Amino acid sequence: MSQELSANAPVDALALRGTPAPAAEFLSVEAESRAFWRLRCRLARTVLRQAFSRARLRLLLILGLSLLLWLGLFWLFANGFWFLKMNIYHPEKHDKMVRDVFEMFFGALTVMLVFSSAIILYGSLFRSREIAFLLTIPARVQRVFLHKFQETLVLSSWGFLLLGSPMLVAYGIVAAAPWYYFAMLPVFMLAFVYIPAGIGALFCLAIAYKAPGNQVRVLILAGIAAIALACWFVWSLVNSPAHRVLTPDWFQEMLDRTKPSEGRLLPSWWLSTGLLEAARRVWSESVLFLVVLIANALFCRQLAVWFAGRVYRPAYCALRVAPQRRRRPVAARVDRIVFLLAGFLSRPMRLIIVKDLRLFRRDPVQWSQFLIFFGLLGLYFLNVRVFGYDMQDLGWLNMVSFLNLSVVGLLMATFTTRFIFPLVSLEGRRFWILGLLPVRRETVLWGKFLFAAGGSILPCSGLILLSDVMLRVPPMILASHQLTCMILCVGLSGIAVGLGARLPNLREQSPSRIAAGFGGTLNLTISTLYILAVVLLTAVPSHFYLAHTHLVTRHGRAAGVLSQRAAIDRWLEFWLIAGTIGSVVLGILAVVIPLRIGFKAFRRMEF
Amino acid sequence: MIQFDGVTRTYGRKVAVDQLTLTIRPGEVLALLGPNGAGKTTTIKLLVGLLRPSAGTVRVCDFDVGAQPRQAVRVLGYVPDEPYLYDKLSGREFLEFVAEMRGLDRPAVAASIARQCEYFDLKEFLDDLVETYSHGMKQRLVFASALLHDPPVLVVDEPMVGLDPRSMRIVKDLLRRRAAANKTVFMSTHTLAVAEEIADRIGIMNGGRLHFLGTVVELQEKLSSRQASLESLFLELTDGGSGRPIQGPPSPSNLAGDPS
Repeated sequence: MSQELSANAPVDALALRGTPAPAAEFLSVEAESRAFWRLRCRLARTVLRQAFSRARLRLLLILGLSLLLWLGLFWLFANGFWFLKMNIYHPEKHDKMVRDVFEMFFGALTVMLVFSSAIILYGSLFRSREIAFLLTIPARVQRVFLHKFQETLVLSSWGFLLLGSPMLVAYGIVAAAPWYYFAMLPVFMLAFVYIPAGIGALFCLAIAYKAPGNQVRVLILAGIAAIALACWFVWSLVNSPAHRVLTPDWFQEMLDRTKPSEGRLLPSWWLSTGLLEAARRVWSESVLFLVVLIANALFCRQLAVWFAGRVYRPAYCALRVAPQRRRRPVAARVDRIVFLLAGFLSRPMRLIIVKDLRLFRRDPVQWSQFLIFFGLLGLYFLNVRVFGYDMQDLGWLNMVSFLNLSVVGLLMATFTTRFIFPLVSLEGRRFWILGLLPVRRETVLWGKFLFAAGGSILPCSGLILLSDVMLRVPPMILASHQLTCMILCVGLSGIAVGLGARLPNLREQSPSRIAAGFGGTLNLTISTLYILAVVLLTAVPSHFYLAHTHLVTRHGRAAGVLSQRAAIDRWLEFWLIAGTIGSVVLGILAVVIPLRIGFKAFRRMEF
Repeated sequence: MIQFDGVTRTYGRKVAVDQLTLTIRPGEVLALLGPNGAGKTTTIKLLVGLLRPSAGTVRVCDFDVGAQPRQAVRVLGYVPDEPYLYDKLSGREFLEFVAEMRGLDRPAVAASIARQCEYFDLKEFLDDLVETYSHGMKQRLVFASALLHDPPVLVVDEPMVGLDPRSMRIVKDLLRRRAAANKTVFMSTHTLAVAEEIADRIGIMNGGRLHFLGTVVELQEKLSSRQASLESLFLELTDGGSGRPIQGPPSPSNLAGDPS
């Protein structure tokens, strides 16, 4: 730094001649927009350049997995649409059924997009440090809002695009839609996501403005209301159907029941109608609904921008000065219970577990999204009987119950990736606290592993128990599911903690960004493979065993297998036991190997 | 130049700033001193428009910060205690963005960046990504960004945190030179010696109230008449004038509850 000011330094030029304000005017709206876009482009360019040069493997892995998921969904939806085409002969009924599928899918996604946009935007607008900077430069408050709104739009809708596009492309192919169906598809989807995102933004601003300090409470109440509404809707839709599932009469009954839910004023209806008309080659109707969607999307955007111009600054200030709830100095009851339950562990380990529990509990913006997913899954399990699965044969029952188990496992894998994997990385900057305590470094990792495993077993076992009870599965399968669930939870926790210690990101403070990095992606991939392996090891032998039992019970003699029955029984029992033992061994390996790798890396780690 | 007129800011029941009335003239450096939680940062946030007063008005160059925040921040340069920088931008890209948002045209942006670059010796690392900067480099970049548009008012929250002695000297010189050029500098600090050295007037805040406001000379007079150091006067003012002795840390025997 030069010791002296240069001769043409600005302060010298103005010395003692009064203090005129700078002559520069405010930027025009267009110039301001360009400046923000340039900022965004520069940031994106750097991130992409770094990803290509430093993290090619990570990038390829993310792209590969996304493509795999997209193709899997495409295959699933294409088969579904073929099934409908083959089984519903009446074209009107077929179209109506497809429309209902579209409307329910997009209707549910609308609700989820409203919530996710509101939550993400709240974090961006009111908790991000960037905002404090942007509000102290002379940018229009509407521009600051739009900058964050566009970011939110991308973050909240990529999942929708990933889930929705394979379904719509599959339908277009099955329905032999014309080229303009596929050309209009991205525009339809983009216009559609703007509407729930705009509504979410309005909610977010209104809550921060009118109920500062109570936003979490309002969010939880809104979440409960949405789940209750979804419960009522699903219940009214499928409660006690009079016919067996997937029969023509069942389809007719479903069509009759969805009539009241058909809302012509809903964006999901415009989207469905526009796409169906395009697929039927009625392009004028399709364009009409596309224009309706775009007009409403622009209206929502403008409304949100106008509202932000009026309330954003006051809301920002109101949130900053909202009185903080005074915490009682005594430990929360849940902390005391956990401390007592973990009485068999050493005191330092128990303290680490309680500390992690407190940090997790006090971040509701993050865990509330998982609560919604767990709630929706619970809702589905509660309603599983109305699909008549419990009335099917044992083989079918077994398959559905194991699929439910896999879904819980996958949800658990995203949970461990999002919350458990970043735990070690987050300790990085505060490692001086743990690092200087008289505890071994392994104790820290063991604490995190036990916190993750203990915390996940309870909700997952509960969900699986609910699914099994509703499906009326035999006690043997129920016990097998509980064992598998435990193996899954323990193994997933081991993988997340071990990899978290081996591949930490000590520079990043945001858990979601740590989870989205290479380590997080690898963790999710390994976790998914682990779930597949464990479930297949237990589900496949179990499926064949039950199918064989069922066959023998009902058609044994006719099938002519009686003479070999004992041998087949022994053979299947062997595989059943071998599969169970194999999954237990796999579970142990999933704990031991990652944790050993993690311990080794954690011991050597320099902070 | 800066005017607080009966400004109060509450956080629920807690009064963070209480009836603050204060005018800072052009060419003046005012240092706000006070213990943690005294209301210094809240006062600064009110001044830069991040918070709005519960009562009263804050004016900068005749702009009401509450009612005209854009106009007010246009005439301000602000160096926060924990500045935000885009890690994935280079120092130059960051300065270009700020200068452009401040309404400087292209030639002015280039000239202004070149000037700040020379003054703060940024040349060596200006085109590197901010994520590679040390704390001191970041601090210099933030100072440069706050001065790009040559604002009549500079607001600095804890300017010396994390700076090495050489950089501290430069910042002190800079603040004095701005005052000499008839610009206003409003800063908060914990460092009594810094305030004593460069401030024209010192304000001592505690519990949201301004307990002392005066020139360094007035302060020195007060000190000499009472034969007290700035530190002892500061402690006395911020202890509510109770005269209670400042207690040292508890001894191990006290912690153990040893009656002896």
